[in-house]
Amino acid sequence: MNRVSTMFSQAGLWLMLAFAMAAPLHAQETAAAADTPLAGDAAPAAAPETSAAATDATTGDFKSLDQEVQSLKKDVLDLNRELFVLEEDLLFPANTQVAVFVSMDVGEFFALDSVTLKIDNKEVANYLYTEREAQALLKGGVHRVYIGNLKTGDHELVALFTGQGPHERDYRRGATLKLTKGVGARYVELKISDRASRAQPEFIVKEWE
Amino acid sequence: MAALFGGVCLALLLAGQSHCATSLIGQPAPDFALRSLSGENIRLSEHLGEVVVINFWATWCGPCRQEMPALDELYAKYKLAGLTLLGVNIDDSNASARAAEMAQGLKVSYPVLFDDRKEVARAFDVSAMPLTVMIDREGVVRQVYEGFKPGQQKRYAEQLRELLNQ
Repeated sequence: MNRVSTMFSQAGLWLMLAFAMAAPLHAQETAAAADTPLAGDAAPAAAPETSAAATDATTGDFKSLDQEVQSLKKDVLDLNRELFVLEEDLLFPANTQVAVFVSMDVGEFFALDSVTLKIDNKEVANYLYTEREAQALLKGGVHRVYIGNLKTGDHELVALFTGQGPHERDYRRGATLKLTKGVGARYVELKISDRASRAQPEFIVKEWE
Repeated sequence: MAALFGGVCLALLLAGQSHCATSLIGQPAPDFALRSLSGENIRLSEHLGEVVVINFWATWCGPCRQEMPALDELYAKYKLAGLTLLGVNIDDSNASARAAEMAQGLKVSYPVLFDDRKEVARAFDVSAMPLTVMIDREGVVRQVYEGFKPGQQKRYAEQLRELLNQ
């Protein structure tokens, strides 16, 4: 994260530099605009050709400076884009990435209200499902409830489901998964399904291979 | 005393924040989902395409008591024209029963939501009570009103008519 901050500070410096370059240019343009008629007033007929040549040279200089500023601005924009991509890579690198998804199957014995996710006893997500979202899950939708990074090693993932169970009774159940994080992204699915034999909902936490 | 306590709570809640809600004008409204008094969960983004008014209130806030019936009148008038009104209570979770009682006592017909984790209040930089936010059909914050004085509902109505006509 410190590295990202440093990169952003550098980008900030680039931007400041670009504006610092642009500001004197405008000042020069204004000064030049003010100076030109004065020069004309001082020697109206003596050296019209010299004046015209000087004006051309000044215009040429301005064009060149303007091109430089435009080029600098383009560099800043390119740098900004590269930093954005770098930030994404650094914040969610594929190797340490963990994503958790929620899915529902049937849902006759459970109406989903919310899912709270804890990793190593720290709450990382708490999502309230609206009626429309719950219906989308029942139609086969999968919701990504969390994306983050984990160090390699053992971790404990606890998912708490709240909602209405059989006979419209408030229902709160937890499911745990011991996760061993190695190299590479890991995907975990929190699946809510019906266990028809016991007329109860079932909460399964499984890893996608 | 209750008002003083509430004010202190609000100050503590918002400690460390230098922004105010008006800075959100012209910005997309932060999305949220909250539990409502009726038990249903409501998500702001599901009301895209409607003009949404969010009214932050608390039981310890005197002007909120005056504002809520006025807002309810506007809701009754413009509901069919595409107005959604959400009352967001920011009391602590142990006071939600009192908040529910107050909302029922004032007979408000619009959905009342509970932000007991104060996440939505933080997202909207609530620094005054009551706070009323008007969001256009595209989900952009168009107006923020801090506090309430009798007669302010006329300005609300004018603004709403403008937003509903867009």
